[in-house]
Amino acid sequence: MSTESARPGVPEAGTGRVEEMLDDDRIDPQEELERSPFSTDLGTAMAEDARRVSAGELSSESFWARYDEAAAEEFGVAYAETPNPAIDAEDGSQTIADGAAEQLQCSVDSMDSVAASLDAAAADEAVQWGMVIDLQKCVGCDSCTVACKAENRTPPGVSYNVVLEEEHGEFPDVTRTNLPRPCMQCENPSCVQVCPVSATYTMNNGVVNIDYDRCIGCRYCMIACPYGARYFDFGENYDQEVMGAGEVQSPEYGVTKDARAEGESPIGNVRKCSFCYHRLGRDEEPACVETCIGDARNFGDLSDPESEVAQMAESTRSFQLKEHTGNDPNVYYLR
Amino acid sequence: MSTLLEDTSLGLGYEHGITDARIRLGWYAAIAGLLLVGAYAMYLRVTGGMATTNMNSVTPWGAWVAFYIYFVGLSAGAFLVSTLSNVFGMAGMHEIDRDALLAAIIAMVVALLFVWTDLGRMDRLFNVFLHRQLTSPLSWEVHAYVAYILVLSVELYFAMRADLVRVARRATGIRARLASVLTFGHRSLSDAALDADRRWLKRFGIVGIPLAIFFVHGGTGVLFAVSKARPYWNSGLFPIIFVISAVVSGTALVMAVYVLRRRFFDDRPVDPNLLDRLAQLLVAFILTDVAFTAIDALIALTTLERLHVGTWLLVSTGEMSWSFWGVMVALGWVLPAALASRRAWRRTPWLMVVAGISVVIGIVGVRFNIVVPPLILPVLEGLPHGNYVPTLVEWGTSAGIIGLGLLLYTLGAELLPLTPLDTDGDHA
Repeated sequence: MSTESARPGVPEAGTGRVEEMLDDDRIDPQEELERSPFSTDLGTAMAEDARRVSAGELSSESFWARYDEAAAEEFGVAYAETPNPAIDAEDGSQTIADGAAEQLQCSVDSMDSVAASLDAAAADEAVQWGMVIDLQKCVGCDSCTVACKAENRTPPGVSYNVVLEEEHGEFPDVTRTNLPRPCMQCENPSCVQVCPVSATYTMNNGVVNIDYDRCIGCRYCMIACPYGARYFDFGENYDQEVMGAGEVQSPEYGVTKDARAEGESPIGNVRKCSFCYHRLGRDEEPACVETCIGDARNFGDLSDPESEVAQMAESTRSFQLKEHTGNDPNVYYLR
Repeated sequence: MSTLLEDTSLGLGYEHGITDARIRLGWYAAIAGLLLVGAYAMYLRVTGGMATTNMNSVTPWGAWVAFYIYFVGLSAGAFLVSTLSNVFGMAGMHEIDRDALLAAIIAMVVALLFVWTDLGRMDRLFNVFLHRQLTSPLSWEVHAYVAYILVLSVELYFAMRADLVRVARRATGIRARLASVLTFGHRSLSDAALDADRRWLKRFGIVGIPLAIFFVHGGTGVLFAVSKARPYWNSGLFPIIFVISAVVSGTALVMAVYVLRRRFFDDRPVDPNLLDRLAQLLVAFILTDVAFTAIDALIALTTLERLHVGTWLLVSTGEMSWSFWGVMVALGWVLPAALASRRAWRRTPWLMVVAGISVVIGIVGVRFNIVVPPLILPVLEGLPHGNYVPTLVEWGTSAGIIGLGLLLYTLGAELLPLTPLDTDGDHA
């Protein structure tokens, strides 16, 4: 294998040294809190218990029972105006002003019911995510492919997006078409049809999901997909190329994953583009759309006739790949 | 010959097993060799994951799937041959129906082992019974396979019960003990009980026929045929060819096994009339298979469509075309049809063994040529081409699984009364 000096541009630093550097840079919580005008002890205690809440060791009810009063006293008006859906209005312990809740579009209720109402609100909106790719604007730079790999941290052999390059004609009358190919997120997906365990399915927003915890890795969906958009994760890694390559995985389909480990999903599963579902949730476009240098990729809600993508998809230039299959992709191209 | 048969029913027949000790040792040693290779390869596959194969995202199915459909076909074919006797009452076929049933059960178990090995997450095998998808042929198939194994096991029980009782009563040692357990306590040899056996055998056979044709093998064909992304498979004729080639391989297997078991287990002469009948059936099935395959190819070529025509050209003229002409056409069709073309040759046992084994190997070529070629050309122009040859791990695991099948069959043939003890003609 290549020696470390053979890697240009990578400073020579062993793992130990890197950790040392991280320690140097880390902020000491104690010092930081002392700099603020508020109680350091209360801050430390709340932070420690908040960790317990997120670890599931402590219920949020008991957390607020413990700190609500102290926090109201310490932080005063600022605390009262900060929305806190965890505090149940019924038992009279609510400290957030109704006006503030309304202004921040936050309901005053227990965590569970707030979460449920948010889900219901999302379903009501009935978005249908779609992409329109203008082939006249695509220059074939492949930066969408690179952005996708970086965003989704896909392993070797897995590339949710590729750009197909076709040359037509004979010299000197030659043209080239660059055809970016993400997952088409079909309305009638062949992959969903054939999955024997229903591990892949269409979500309400039109995105075709894969449940990595259910997929048995039979690869029938890869056989069925007319667009070659699905990839099997053979468990390879970029260990030779990048330090700590598998330490962080992308929260695909909104599911947080631990570090990449041998024998653990998504290794042994089939993977594909998710329209960067995890970014959509925070009002960001898919990485390929955001990065496109020629603005060839457009993203939005196809069910909203006023939206830019819906209008583009209706234009006479618009077409879908392999329309005869009846898959009805939510990815459109402009010729 | 009739005196010989009577002799066996007086006691010799209960000590069924390989008669020559040296051949027996050699055979078990060969199986042990296959199992050792298989165990090591399986260790590498389980620890190394799917990266130990030569499959990739362009060619996601390979040797394991080819062997899976091969053994599904062998099973369905062998079973259908068994129904010639116990459902349709074809004269003289009673001799082979238990052999055919046992081979069919074991081939199905082997097929399931192949498809299990092929799963990216072998630990999630049982998800197929916990979560279903009504539109997925594969979801239906796994249930059909289980039902099929159960139906066939029940059939084998009714086909063999009377002889199990006889063995339990008159033989000694492990055979008698095993036979005694397998009667499940039903020990009557009265005419009424024997009649009931035949009736139930026929009933389960009648359930088994549609199960084998439409679900187990036709369904496995459907599994491929529904894939509109792969025009080579996406035709209505495809599941039918699947069933026909299954019957070809099943008939050939039963024919070869019949002669070999007569020679090495029972040490009794082969019935030339039965052999002739099997060989004639085999030729008829081969001709049907050739005709339908030719029709399928001609339809494909007239589409002038890139993937459809391209895949057929790849099969017939590509890098791996030797497997089409040399294995599928020559061994699967031409050689056995030629060997079975003359009456005298059809009555020569060793020639029919050669013909049978030639088909059994040839159909392996058929199955590889079904699975791999449509996964070589990319579904969209511009995507990478596939280039698939199985790795040693894939071959090794396959050898081990096949070895396990051979072991199970040999143990069955040594311990169970597969040759009818009441050989006074058919049960008519």
